[in-house]
Amino acid sequence: MIFAKKAVLILGAILLGATTSINIVMAQGSTMTDAQISQIKSSCLTAKDTLAQLHANDALLRVNRGQMYESMATKLMTPFNNRVDNNHLNSKYLVAVTQDYKDALTTFRNDYITYEESLSSALKIDCTKEPVSFYDAVADARTKRTQVHSDVLKLHQYIDQYKSTFEQFVTGLMNFNGSNN
Amino acid sequence: MDENIQTEVVSTAQPVLSFWDQHRYLLLIAVSIAIAMFLVTISMALYNSSGAAQLDLSRPGYSTVTSQAVKNDSNFANYPDTGTLDKSSIDQFRSLYNAQAVSAKAVDAFSGDPLDPAALEISAPVAPAQ
Repeated sequence: MIFAKKAVLILGAILLGATTSINIVMAQGSTMTDAQISQIKSSCLTAKDTLAQLHANDALLRVNRGQMYESMATKLMTPFNNRVDNNHLNSKYLVAVTQDYKDALTTFRNDYITYEESLSSALKIDCTKEPVSFYDAVADARTKRTQVHSDVLKLHQYIDQYKSTFEQFVTGLMNFNGSNN
Repeated sequence: MDENIQTEVVSTAQPVLSFWDQHRYLLLIAVSIAIAMFLVTISMALYNSSGAAQLDLSRPGYSTVTSQAVKNDSNFANYPDTGTLDKSSIDQFRSLYNAQAVSAKAVDAFSGDPLDPAALEISAPVAPAQ
């Protein structure tokens, strides 16, 4: 009997909590109030249009920039390293930077795939029915886009690093040629 | 005429066909479709997993940007990997590399924060109570 009373009290408390004016919904660490959920619902269709445009623009950016970064390695760095090697000169440092650059390029490609998949899944969510999932998916895509941006910055650093390694190589070569003449 | 001549009666009765023998064309079509579907599934899996899907601007939704894609980068000169390494070849490389490095770094790709909830006008969550 006492047990039944306790059960009714616990159930009542749960129901009371559920019907409180400020409901709290949690999904993947996000905690939202009813007001926030209704705001997402009301503005999510506009947000989805923005996301769709961003999706297309980022794809274009990936194609054009990716082609440029790829050409830096295949049309400039690697041929120069080969030429240095063919002339029996030390290409070790240039090759090392090129390898780092290529690794960074692979990371950029993979991170972009992850980001694109994340953004695509956010676009597939019916935000009027699943506002919290939509919010979380956008937050996830945001984190992954930041990662892609840091990959781009890393590529830029390697482009600079190759240039300084090249200049060091040239200085060494000139000194070597000067001392031999 | 000659009574010794014996006439052989050749049996022309139709052989009994099994169900699959009777429907062999249907079977052929069904197997062909199944093989085609299997190959398409593998192709789609490769298309998605290899990253080709992300580079395919002919997909629906990308029509607005398709025309802006750089279709050939012929203005990106190829440095020859053979020949002597003298001052002029080094200067040639320096000039090519510097020009391309400037254009590679000219765009700070994927910068900014367009997915910020505030920019998208979707509310920020309340921090969970500690």
